[in-house]
Amino acid sequence: MAKVYEKNRCKEMTESEKYALLDDVIRDYDKKESNLIQILHIGQVIFGCLPLEVQIFIAERMDLPLSKVSGVVTFYSYFSLEPKGDYIISVCLGTACYVRGGKQIMEKLKELLCIDVGETTGDMKFTLEVVRCMGACGLAPAIRINDKVYKRVNPNKLKQILDQYK
Amino acid sequence: MNINKSILTISDLDNVKKKFKEDSEKYDRTLLFCAGSGCVSSNCEEVKDALIVELEKAGLTSSIKLCLTGCIGICEVGPRMTVQPDGVFYCKLKPEDMKKVVREHLLNNKIVEELCYKDRITGEIIPQMKNIPFFKGQNKKVLRDCGMISYRSMDEFIYHDGYYALAKALNSFNPKRVIEEIKKSGLRGRGGGGFPTGVKWALAAKTPSDQKYIVCNADEGDPGAFMDRSLLEGNPHAIIEGMAIGGYAIGADQGYVYVRAEYPLAIEGLEIAIENARDRNILGKNIFNSGFDFDIEIRIGAGAFVCGEETALINSVEGCRGEPNQKPPYPSDEGIFKKPTIINNVETLGNIPVIIREGANKYLCVGTEKSSGTKVFSLTGDIKNTGLLEVPMGITLGEIIFDIGGGIPNGKRFKVAQTGGPSGGCLTKEQLNTPMDYDSLIELGAIMGSGGLISMDEDTCMVDMAKFFMEFIQDESCGKCVPCRLGTKRMLEILERITKGEGKEGDVELLVELANTIKDTALCGLGQTAPNPVLSTIKYFREEYDEHIRDKYCRGGVCSELFISPCENACPANVNVPGYLALIAEGRIKDAYNLIRQENPFPAVCGRVCTHPCEGKCRRGQTDEAIAISALKRYVADEMFKNNEPFVDLVFPKKNKKIGIIGAGISGLTCGYYLARLGYDVTVYEAKPVPGGVLVYGIPEYRLPKEILNKEIDTIKQVGVNIITDVEVGKDILFDDLRTSYDAIYIATGAQFSREIGLEGENLPGVYHGLDLLKDINLGKDVDVSGVVAVIGGGSTAFDAARVAIRKGAKEVHVIYRRTSKDMPADQSEIIEAVEEGVIIHELLRPVALKGKECVNKVKCIKMELSGFDSDGRKKPLDIPDSEYEMDVDHIIIAVSQYSDLPFINKEEVEATQMGTIVVDKDTQMTSMAGVFAGGDAVRGSDVVITAIADGKKAASSMDKHLGGDGVLNKGEHIDIPQNYNDSEIMEHKRFEMAYLDADERKDNFEEVCLGFHRLNAIAESMRCLRCDRKL
Repeated sequence: MAKVYEKNRCKEMTESEKYALLDDVIRDYDKKESNLIQILHIGQVIFGCLPLEVQIFIAERMDLPLSKVSGVVTFYSYFSLEPKGDYIISVCLGTACYVRGGKQIMEKLKELLCIDVGETTGDMKFTLEVVRCMGACGLAPAIRINDKVYKRVNPNKLKQILDQYK
Repeated sequence: MNINKSILTISDLDNVKKKFKEDSEKYDRTLLFCAGSGCVSSNCEEVKDALIVELEKAGLTSSIKLCLTGCIGICEVGPRMTVQPDGVFYCKLKPEDMKKVVREHLLNNKIVEELCYKDRITGEIIPQMKNIPFFKGQNKKVLRDCGMISYRSMDEFIYHDGYYALAKALNSFNPKRVIEEIKKSGLRGRGGGGFPTGVKWALAAKTPSDQKYIVCNADEGDPGAFMDRSLLEGNPHAIIEGMAIGGYAIGADQGYVYVRAEYPLAIEGLEIAIENARDRNILGKNIFNSGFDFDIEIRIGAGAFVCGEETALINSVEGCRGEPNQKPPYPSDEGIFKKPTIINNVETLGNIPVIIREGANKYLCVGTEKSSGTKVFSLTGDIKNTGLLEVPMGITLGEIIFDIGGGIPNGKRFKVAQTGGPSGGCLTKEQLNTPMDYDSLIELGAIMGSGGLISMDEDTCMVDMAKFFMEFIQDESCGKCVPCRLGTKRMLEILERITKGEGKEGDVELLVELANTIKDTALCGLGQTAPNPVLSTIKYFREEYDEHIRDKYCRGGVCSELFISPCENACPANVNVPGYLALIAEGRIKDAYNLIRQENPFPAVCGRVCTHPCEGKCRRGQTDEAIAISALKRYVADEMFKNNEPFVDLVFPKKNKKIGIIGAGISGLTCGYYLARLGYDVTVYEAKPVPGGVLVYGIPEYRLPKEILNKEIDTIKQVGVNIITDVEVGKDILFDDLRTSYDAIYIATGAQFSREIGLEGENLPGVYHGLDLLKDINLGKDVDVSGVVAVIGGGSTAFDAARVAIRKGAKEVHVIYRRTSKDMPADQSEIIEAVEEGVIIHELLRPVALKGKECVNKVKCIKMELSGFDSDGRKKPLDIPDSEYEMDVDHIIIAVSQYSDLPFINKEEVEATQMGTIVVDKDTQMTSMAGVFAGGDAVRGSDVVITAIADGKKAASSMDKHLGGDGVLNKGEHIDIPQNYNDSEIMEHKRFEMAYLDADERKDNFEEVCLGFHRLNAIAESMRCLRCDRKL
């Protein structure tokens, strides 16, 4: 089933190792079309994103039209065609976080990183994204940097948080 | 015991129970440690590691069981740990706390009180979990075990009666009987639709097919909702059991759990639970020897809110784009891979084992007739106790928000509760008595939704909220149908224009038209319900939309394009607060003074008695404490008076037009000031011997010294305003004469008559009315308030009267108020100072009668209790029957309300309300008499100084327009505001302090109590300003 592949382990692999791994995964899933989304998730962990070449590979292996695979990749917000930064900052703008100042946090981050939502900093360190509710509503406003969730974030303390990742 | 031993019969379940019990008995205590997502993000991992280290050090690893659980609901105080069997609840834990807990509690049986739950309001320490108000109000059925058992132990699940319902269903019922039981229970879909679950199952059951599916919809996408996440993390086996029973009922042998990708912990927990269940034959073939096969597969979502909709979900399970389809065909006929499919919400499935286990009859005992059972709500937003709660259907909104939720933090008032997420509507403070059940909410135009309940306080802009939800919908709209894809975009554009100050007349009507069209024509539930938040906010908060469009005003202080800063926006006179604070920080006191006086000619007065709504909106308040804006205004004015520097305000050339003003109170003087500066000849008629109105007759010397007030009135006279005292209009001069002699008139006579409250004995000697008492004192008359004095009321007048009585030598002074202190209209600082001086406050007490013969000697009171909610959102005080008692008194002061009266005006000629206040046009302040304007308390009834000033300014502008001018006031030279923005990290610091007289020093005299700022503290305090006026 959905084994979680270590992102860092995948980073060290060569391109052909990555494709071989993806091939294994597709076979694990019996090449079934209904498993496409699960396969794409794992593909994104392996490659960091799902550019056209990877989509073509998956389409061929699963005997699906490329348009089908592309259609699914572009529909779901989790899938990205471009590589992301090392650290993905997801600012929660769900209702509870919004009410507790999520907008100010987003503005401050845009200012500190000099990028807009969806963009990545020049040094490929940070990508800024919006997430619509991570379920940490009790501790709004919340942001997530990769796997770590920060709760009750104060916009004036954001610089301190980002400095930890420098 | 071999953990993989198959479970095939009920006695197998019994054996697991027995074994678990035996295994548990070797432990002295069990520690239930929360490892739900909420606590994980509060660093519970570190706390857990520290705990393990301490347990090892103390040699307790074999006698203490450490059990990781899911969420218990009270996220606000995590990381948390419950010690069983003691029942003690520790919260807000840090790694360094573990040593204490292990040494003192586990080794020495001493509860560590400082780590226990502390009641926010009373400060009481509550060690026992069952006594904590947050839990007391709840009725946990679905969440009974969540947070109380290990989240990864199938054995513990069984020990708490897990899988017995499945065994019962498979062995004792046939599928039809199961459906009957669910129908009888009245269970309705908890995902938001509220459709009867039993009926839905029956539909799928009767459709013949070789393959059927049951799906658990765990794509909890509503922002603000995390009920399903907690259940999946904390007790995943409950879902497996519910799905298996459902599969049996409808004839499905395959189940899918569609979980959103944002829930990794839930996915992990489910995977482990499914694997364990398979290992022990709870999933697989021939479950419980019944011949029923069933298995479950997990499907992960990929970040699409629309996949919560049935048909979109089905498409996503099939590996396709999550776009919805037309219904019919309904999933129960054609779902996944075109086979009959039932899709149920997580919480709905969590109810199934409960119903089968306890029986439908018992289940029906909780909840209301048409909405049986309980509902899990995730209570978030502006609320003290954020978290998850399970309550019986039918509980009122007010009980959830105030009793369980603890009310609104930071002294703010409740404004709205949003239910149903982007598909829902709002419930206002008038609706706090609404029972929370499906039908009551639908009647109000709202929906129950999935259970996300977001509380919003007075600092919320409803137009901004509607825009927020529409932005969300635009992000999540799949784009398949035109009404949703384009319609919501157009609605969003209109909302954006309105919040930027570019709204037009007709925008609201257009929004409603679009909304109704989209509701009727969108393909799926997402589009059909997308307009709900907009329609709901328009229905209940139409004024806010109009204010944004017509006045370019955002009362919540949110839409920043419409104002300089939240403080300036909140000020009725729009004083440029960040501007003058920046000037103080640079030492430019004169410029600060003049900047204030551009909008408010009374800084010395306001710096002492203003109710400072600006401070309520100060953003610094979110970090440490709001800036002392009012006190800094006083500092500036006092410095200028000290210097005695002569200055002259700029006055335009004479227009040779005459203005007559009746009443030299603050409103009249303000109006006169601005009109004189425009070049009008202004004459103010004052009936009393000195000008000032309530400032000189109502507010005591120790709060506002007459000397200061007079200096400020001099600045008004200085621009040419002519004040004539001892002339009462209607007696010494006729109103009609004024109308002929002046080109325009402004009436600002205030609300100077104390309202009688119809209390028996009100006219006995020894009974004063508050305003009259203060007037007499201020006129220097000899007043007897000796002995025991009781003041009735809770506003500024009541407290002024009470403190004056103290100074005049009363033995005891009591204040009697029918609500609680925090509901008193008086400023909290006045109440604190009064208590310091010895005033005794009696809350929840109402006077019923005043008794006495030659003079009053007793007041009979009745006690009150709070229950239910008034339409202004405050709890309603109700008499407690048979609780009357009598208090001995020597004097009574009644300070409940004031009214105004205009004996000099013919009542037929000018429109007035029943209260005696004058009716004016909202935009021009003109009365029904042409050329006659009015403002201040004479129009508003008993209100505050700053609104009277704002009225005077607005009237001045209107009167100028009325007389042919352009209405633009003369505010003098432009003043440059420093752009000295400080970008360094904010260092937290509460307010820099002012000096005050000690209570003992001030109790017997009328010296000014507050001594103001030292220069250095004033500069430091002004530097705490975050300069919210900064625009990029």
